[in-house]
Amino acid sequence: MSKKNKHRNHNRPWPVTPPTVSGGSAVGPGASDPNFVEVEQLLAQGNSKAAVELAKQVHKLAVTSASEALLIKAYGARIRALLKSGLSVEAKALLDLVRQRYPSAKGALAEIGVDVAARQESLDDLLRGLNDPGLAPARRLEIEATIRRQVTDPGALAQSAALPAEHPLRVGAARLEKAWEAVTTGPVNDDALALPEISRRSPLAPWKMLVRAIAAFYQADDAACERWIELIDPDSAPARLAPVLRAMISCQAAPGLKPAASFLVAQVGGKLDTLRGALQSLDAAFATGKRKQIIPAIQNAIRVCREACPDLLDRLRQHIGVRAHAADISDAQVREAMGGAPRKDAYFCRLMARQAEDPRSMACLPACTMWDEFRQHAVQEGWFRADGPEVAALYLHMADILQHMSREDLASLQQSFRNQYSRLAFQYLEHHPPSVREFASKKDEEALYLLFPERLYARACAIDPDPEVFMRWVEWARGGSGWKLEEEAAEAWKRALPKDSRPLLRLMELAEKRGALKKALGYLEQAESLAALNPEVRRGRLRLLVATAMRHVEQRKAHLADRDLEDLEALPQAREGDRPAFLEALRWTVCVLRSDPDGAARHLARATDLIGSRVAAAIVIAGIVDFCKLYDLVTDHYYERNINFEGKESLAAAVARGCALGDDLGWPLTIPSAFEKQLLDELKRAPGKMDARQLRLLAEAALRLDRRPLAFAASGAGLAKGGATEARFLLLRGRALPGYEPERRDQCYAAAAELARRQRDMGLVDEAVECRRGHFFMGTINPLAPDSASMSTDQLSKVLNRERQASEFPQFKDRKLESPFDDGPFFDDDEDDDFDDDEEFDDDLGPVTSNEFDEIMNQLDDLLGMGKRRGPRHKYRRRRRPGPPRPPGPPSPPSGPGQGSLF
Amino acid sequence: MERKSTLGPHDDPREILGVATSATDEEIRAAYLRKVKEHPPERSPAAFERIRDAYEVLRDPRRRALHLLLSADPWAPLASLLADRKPERRFVGPAPWLAVLKEK
Repeated sequence: MSKKNKHRNHNRPWPVTPPTVSGGSAVGPGASDPNFVEVEQLLAQGNSKAAVELAKQVHKLAVTSASEALLIKAYGARIRALLKSGLSVEAKALLDLVRQRYPSAKGALAEIGVDVAARQESLDDLLRGLNDPGLAPARRLEIEATIRRQVTDPGALAQSAALPAEHPLRVGAARLEKAWEAVTTGPVNDDALALPEISRRSPLAPWKMLVRAIAAFYQADDAACERWIELIDPDSAPARLAPVLRAMISCQAAPGLKPAASFLVAQVGGKLDTLRGALQSLDAAFATGKRKQIIPAIQNAIRVCREACPDLLDRLRQHIGVRAHAADISDAQVREAMGGAPRKDAYFCRLMARQAEDPRSMACLPACTMWDEFRQHAVQEGWFRADGPEVAALYLHMADILQHMSREDLASLQQSFRNQYSRLAFQYLEHHPPSVREFASKKDEEALYLLFPERLYARACAIDPDPEVFMRWVEWARGGSGWKLEEEAAEAWKRALPKDSRPLLRLMELAEKRGALKKALGYLEQAESLAALNPEVRRGRLRLLVATAMRHVEQRKAHLADRDLEDLEALPQAREGDRPAFLEALRWTVCVLRSDPDGAARHLARATDLIGSRVAAAIVIAGIVDFCKLYDLVTDHYYERNINFEGKESLAAAVARGCALGDDLGWPLTIPSAFEKQLLDELKRAPGKMDARQLRLLAEAALRLDRRPLAFAASGAGLAKGGATEARFLLLRGRALPGYEPERRDQCYAAAAELARRQRDMGLVDEAVECRRGHFFMGTINPLAPDSASMSTDQLSKVLNRERQASEFPQFKDRKLESPFDDGPFFDDDEDDDFDDDEEFDDDLGPVTSNEFDEIMNQLDDLLGMGKRRGPRHKYRRRRRPGPPRPPGPPSPPSGPGQGSLF
Repeated sequence: MERKSTLGPHDDPREILGVATSATDEEIRAAYLRKVKEHPPERSPAAFERIRDAYEVLRDPRRRALHLLLSADPWAPLASLLADRKPERRFVGPAPWLAVLKEK
């Protein structure tokens, strides 16, 4: 139905059933009359307009007192509806008309008249009744309730001439008006809020509460404000301000506020909300990344900020500048939209630096550059001193940022900047005297400090010479290829903190590593003078003396080795644990040098007694022989002739014990290849015989020597034992797996991390995470993904069960390597030539050995730039055994001049 | 378990304790004690937590320095710039208030 038709139908005369006429006089239609019933129904439905129309027709036809009463009732409902809709003028006009036309309506519509009068703000009609001394209490209550509900201006009440000036209501209203004016205009004292003229029962009591709520609001006492609001009668006129006040307290936009309320909120609260909205819109525009949306949003935010919070404008420009920079919007466009450039101060530089170092798009060089800018501005602006701890922290932070680059990339960057600087310097200073050129060159080099972690650490340590800071420098330097950087760091530490033994120990270790034993002993003596009881120092003395003795053995200087051994035997720490057995083994080698078979036999017997195992003694001797390069005197043949593998002794346990002793003295021992087959057999045959510690030592020694099948078997034996060490053996299993099992290896690492996490072994968790980080296979496994480290119990048990049951070292030929590598250049048979020292495995492995595969992985990593690992890098290349290559087949006869037959 | 700091990215611990940038360790401690007296934990626990966190940052020079560097967050919502701003409460006279009451 069209609107027009609807309107037309609405005005159509109501179909009225003629009333019953009896005896010439109209009999009043009763409540049972269908027309009456219908009018009542319409009124009940709230359709007062239709009710009036129908009642008018009914009355026109009937003209009885009942029909008039019905019509007046319908008019009353209509007037109330008009009042409810805010049409008070229309309501009053209709009321006047009805009163004029139907005298009986005066009484019936008296109550409505009060409401209409109140709405008209001509309260006189309403208030006049209160002057009547005989006013019924019920009527008085009605008028007061209407005042409570309808009066929206205490001033009008105070000035009403309908009441005498001394009437309590007028007096109270006048006092309230003053208080209202005061509380909305400025701060007020408690006296102004007392309002003793207004009692709790007064119709103005809600106003009193409102005045106090507003006062508390302006005093920022929000709790008190809320308490006063709660005391306001919810049916009273002042209650209309309650949601508005609450909205202003919470600073939240209240839904459904009418225009006047919104205006009040805006006026009182300033334009902070508008600004907040504009900033949220700008954030949303930045999230879209669309320039067309961002620029207008910037303009709007700046405009609103200028009006609402002009003091925030600079700060806002800086934030917008940084965000726009990240969104790749040109500076000129942003500047124009903002009506000016962001202020380049310390705050801005810090924001820019933080943006540049965002992990999602780390830009190391810009980040460091901005941090350097920040440093200069911050010092200039007085944020901190140029030599304050903040600057040291900043240098350390910059050094951390540079560590996100690979060492190769960083070196290349440093070189290119150096070249650029020197070229520019050459052009700029071409005609200047050499002294000027030299000075400028030094200055330029210094300006590049931010590209060199070692210089950053040095600066940080100069400001904050704390061992922790030096430790970070040394740790970083340790990751480098040479020892120079680490030595520089340790030297600087020693100079800055001469009473600290730790740098001396570092220097000692470095010297020891590169074979400078005399220098190492010098550092050790200094460390002993500072901390003789330090266990590290004590161990250092033992280790260095062992190293010196072994060097002398290697140099075949038996007399010097004897002297070293005497010194060693005098050390209390050399008498602990299995260490005396090691010394006996060293004595054995000295006897070999001297061609003294009796002495050798004696020391071997002693070593065997001390370590409790002939095999363990043999392992120690083998290790010493290997390090001292005595291959011409002793060969593997020795072990096969002298060690009885058929005995009751556990070979694996003996090997583990020997390896443990070597580790203890800082000389990781080799496991003679002649033992490998028997070791594997034993681990497969009786995995439960050894304890977890021995198995762990064995697996770690095998990994160190890159004997993955042996490490695999040892880790399997460890897993078979179950218990609390499962996580450790899962990690060892992962490390033992060959490079062509990347997913399985990663699953082992993840399972080890998960298990360790559940056992709260955070050290092991770190190890597993580092292993995963180091094992980044072709981008298919991302150990840095947030949820890639977590594993469900079900997944964990699957990995554990699989690894427990796996008894055979995975073979490359069994594995289908996915394209594109199947026919790649890396599988050329010729490359096998490079690995001819692995004859033991050539028979078992397929066309590509595990070593070859590892080598391939290294090459691929390098080619694809995936070799930039932060964690320990796996040594894919098998350690080549020094000395002459051993021919395949049966053991060769000794090559030495006669001594070989002895051993 | 380590307690989570109540300080946000834009919170300046110096401002919370009311000390100048150049304040010495003693001044920082004195300001902390003064603030704790103003906001004892039993009466205003939230304010006390903030004061304590601010002091924890400021008392350790390295932590203080690191906080200074890393407290800026370029990706924080721009509206967070208004976080520390107390909403203004302007006196606007009786008329706007009465207009709300008269509004139909």
